[in-house]
Amino acid sequence: MKLLLTLLLFAGFCAHADVGEPLETLPIQDAGRIKPFDTFARESLQLIYGKKTYGERSATATIFTWLLLPDQWINAPIVELRHSGLKEALKITSQERYFSPQSLFTNERVPLVIQELTSLRERQEKLNPYFQAVQRLENQLALFQAIRSGIVLRFVPDPNSDRWKSVAELDGDLREAFIRVSKGFVDSVGSGGSEPQPSDEFRAAVADFISKARAQAPDKYADMNKISWEEHLNRFHPFKWAWIIYLSGIFFFFLGFNVKQKWAVPLGWAFLLGGFGLHAYGMGLRIYLAGRPPVSNMYETVVWVPWCCVLLGLILERIQKTKLLLMCAATVAIFCLILTDLAPTVLDSSIQPLEPVLRSTFWLSTHVLIITLSYAAFFLAFALGDVVLFYYLKDEHRFQHQIAIGVNSIYRAIQVGIVLLAFGIILGGIWADYSWGRFWGWDPKETWALISLLCYVAVLHGRLVGWVKNFQLAAAAVIGFSLVVMSWYGVNFVLGAGLHTYGFGAGGIEYVIGFVVIHFLYVAYVSTVRYGRVKSQTSR
Amino acid sequence: MAKLKKPFNILASIRLAVFIILAMAVIAAVGTITEARYDAEVAQKLVYQSVYMYTVMGLLIITLIAVMVDRWPWKQHHAGFVLAHVGIITLLFGAWLTQRYGVDGSVAFETGQERNSVTVKDREILVYSTLDGNNFSKMYQGPEDFIRHPPSEKFPYIIHLGDEDIRIVQFENFAFKESEVSASDAEQDGPAIRFQLENPNVNLTQWIRRDARRDSMDVDLGPAKVVLATELPAPSGRNEVVLVEKPKSDDLDYVIYNKDNSVRKKGHVRQSETVETGWMGMKFRLLRYMQHAKEKVTFTPSPTASPISTPAIRFTFHGEEFWLGLDTVMRYFQKDGMYLISYGHKRLQLPFALKLHQFKVGMYEGTDRAASYESLVEAPGRGLVTISMNEPLKYQGFTFYQSSFEKDEKGEPVASILSVNRDPGRWVKYLGSMLIVFGSIVLFYFKRVQWAKALRGKS
Repeated sequence: MKLLLTLLLFAGFCAHADVGEPLETLPIQDAGRIKPFDTFARESLQLIYGKKTYGERSATATIFTWLLLPDQWINAPIVELRHSGLKEALKITSQERYFSPQSLFTNERVPLVIQELTSLRERQEKLNPYFQAVQRLENQLALFQAIRSGIVLRFVPDPNSDRWKSVAELDGDLREAFIRVSKGFVDSVGSGGSEPQPSDEFRAAVADFISKARAQAPDKYADMNKISWEEHLNRFHPFKWAWIIYLSGIFFFFLGFNVKQKWAVPLGWAFLLGGFGLHAYGMGLRIYLAGRPPVSNMYETVVWVPWCCVLLGLILERIQKTKLLLMCAATVAIFCLILTDLAPTVLDSSIQPLEPVLRSTFWLSTHVLIITLSYAAFFLAFALGDVVLFYYLKDEHRFQHQIAIGVNSIYRAIQVGIVLLAFGIILGGIWADYSWGRFWGWDPKETWALISLLCYVAVLHGRLVGWVKNFQLAAAAVIGFSLVVMSWYGVNFVLGAGLHTYGFGAGGIEYVIGFVVIHFLYVAYVSTVRYGRVKSQTSR
Repeated sequence: MAKLKKPFNILASIRLAVFIILAMAVIAAVGTITEARYDAEVAQKLVYQSVYMYTVMGLLIITLIAVMVDRWPWKQHHAGFVLAHVGIITLLFGAWLTQRYGVDGSVAFETGQERNSVTVKDREILVYSTLDGNNFSKMYQGPEDFIRHPPSEKFPYIIHLGDEDIRIVQFENFAFKESEVSASDAEQDGPAIRFQLENPNVNLTQWIRRDARRDSMDVDLGPAKVVLATELPAPSGRNEVVLVEKPKSDDLDYVIYNKDNSVRKKGHVRQSETVETGWMGMKFRLLRYMQHAKEKVTFTPSPTASPISTPAIRFTFHGEEFWLGLDTVMRYFQKDGMYLISYGHKRLQLPFALKLHQFKVGMYEGTDRAASYESLVEAPGRGLVTISMNEPLKYQGFTFYQSSFEKDEKGEPVASILSVNRDPGRWVKYLGSMLIVFGSIVLFYFKRVQWAKALRGKS
């Protein structure tokens, strides 16, 4: 059984070579950095089509054919358009999700809605979801045009400029070399039948093009080591495997402790640590590629926080001696890592250049890492709170022992969180003082961090005077986390105000609100049930 | 003594502390919502620096002190508790020092300019009067706090100027500027024209009003530049339509320059006449010409903040009504002199001057995304120094930080903005912060020791 599972996992790794494979590691300059063509293709396809693959075909092969066969693709349904209000504005009645670029280029209402967006931008107003959809459409159409005309495919460094030359600007030798690459690709596609493989000529043509491009400006050309590591990160996608392995870990722990299968416990440990290692490996790669701590945007923190959560779980497990901590931490990790795959538009995984103010690795790694570490502690307390409340719901006398351990762990996690958050806020103050000249400015991000801190401090003080007993502490851990969600996500995505503008984004609000509301309802439900029980016991 | 005991117990109780902490959290949350709804300044004035916030903070300090006194004499396990609480008081004291004695402002200058004053956030109203145009005497200077106390028709803000009052009757924190040009009888008002530039692709209509104290006024419309002047200026290497006024005459002389500074055409033009410029079929049409014109500025309120909105006040003076936007000056002419009415941010003199030599924006490779900002400034006695993001300049007790820059229409940086700061509370705040962090670590450590003891006691 176990063997079968492992074999199944491995089958995924050894997928057959795609026909565009030699192109994947072709360096391209895009959005302020040099990346493999594979990354560019995935990001472009994600923007235009909403997915990172086109059916069975890889992003690389798909995007490359847009350049080679522009007239066929312009009539293919590849532009994702989901916003119903925008469809209405464009007088599109179809329920389809994908539309051909041609149909949108010829739609006479498209320039009108884009004009509206432009005038809104000139007034520098905030964009509502409708205009965000218009903005996406504008970007989709512009990018498709730019790809099919080749002007964004900047493959060759220019010794006289920071801007690389695109395939549309190539001449002489390089032009010939690029034509051979295209020809090699076309021949490979044509020769292979249903599962085409890259031919040797194709591989040689790509290698030749790379060496010719490098010769233009060797010191500006890409570090091929980094390029192939990035391509590996894209293809391997360690975070997906990490959550799958975490899940197996939880499964074996569950077998070990709840079904009393002793043999499963070491396996649980092995899988949990394996997932943790893989999670770390993925982040390590990202740190190496981006050259900065993994906390500069929403996606990175949603990957980093659960890792810290597991780390804290492992440390606290040494002190509290309960596997409950590990299982909660792993659940948080699974939840977050699945989230990053489910919501790629909200949690944009592309490595973007940093805003000037963030370009200080020292402060970024101290202040932001510590703040996010505190989020991890509160996240852990939240997950534990959920479980403890569940025990209360089942039978608080039978699970007395588990509740006591759980509450102790919650208390511990909140303590750790408070110290880290206070420290992180203060470091943020010192950073702000150092680079803006003010220690505290009531910026929404820092204010919400303070609000979270104050509320958790109030909870601990309430416990001192007996207002917050075990049950209330578990409930507070669950409710309190909504404040963390507000400072983590809400300030950037809901309030959209303040100096921390570099993290602004959009989307997913309804899901986050749903998440918070469900937990409020859960706490309310358990409280009501428990209150009823206590009342009936005392009246008896 | 016994009488005192009871109120003291209430102040020293943790129950009160919980309420105070939660009250602070609620006020802060209201503040962030206010900021998202309006802007940071409104949130500061109405929430963070409100009576409520100060009351809660005052109560917090009293409670913190009371609870520490209550636990006297302190034992070893009180160490963390005392340190953390003293830390909070120290931090708040430091914040008060900053608020009371600190300077927080900004300096904006273009390359080559020298500045010896700082603009701070506080706003003020200034009124000067002059008889000869050279010697000004200050008639009034007063702080403006209209966000908290907006004036109204019923309760105007009145500035007494001896013979006549300035009555400020409206304040709009977010307003859009509109201006209207109309003919005037006053000889001291300069002329104005309204013209149209038109071809199949372009159709632009615009006013130019020349202030009587300036010799020429121009507007650059992209395809061409239009100039209104008293005497013919030299060409400037652009496609240019120059209109030259003639005293007491209804028509204007015009000269059309080419990009290569050659004269394309010359002649006279009257109101509602059209001139063919010869550039891509473009026609120049003089829609209006007024020998004396005045500009009336009005503001329309906007419900929310927008990057192009500005605060504005409306007031009456000598029976006339005026709008004045923030950081603008108005001249009011009388028979025997002039008033200068200024509404703007307060300025603070520095004991030295800084000069901007160069401003650079570094870009990410091959993009238009800014990667860094850098100002090269000259400070007396220090020579040339570079100020960049995260690398401020400390000079004579002030610190200069690169905060942002201004762009022209083409997106080229034209001016650098530094924020300037002097903070006597800095080290007090740092000390307080250190105590808080250190104290809470000690506090939680002792909790753990106590628990361990309790557990051992049980077993």
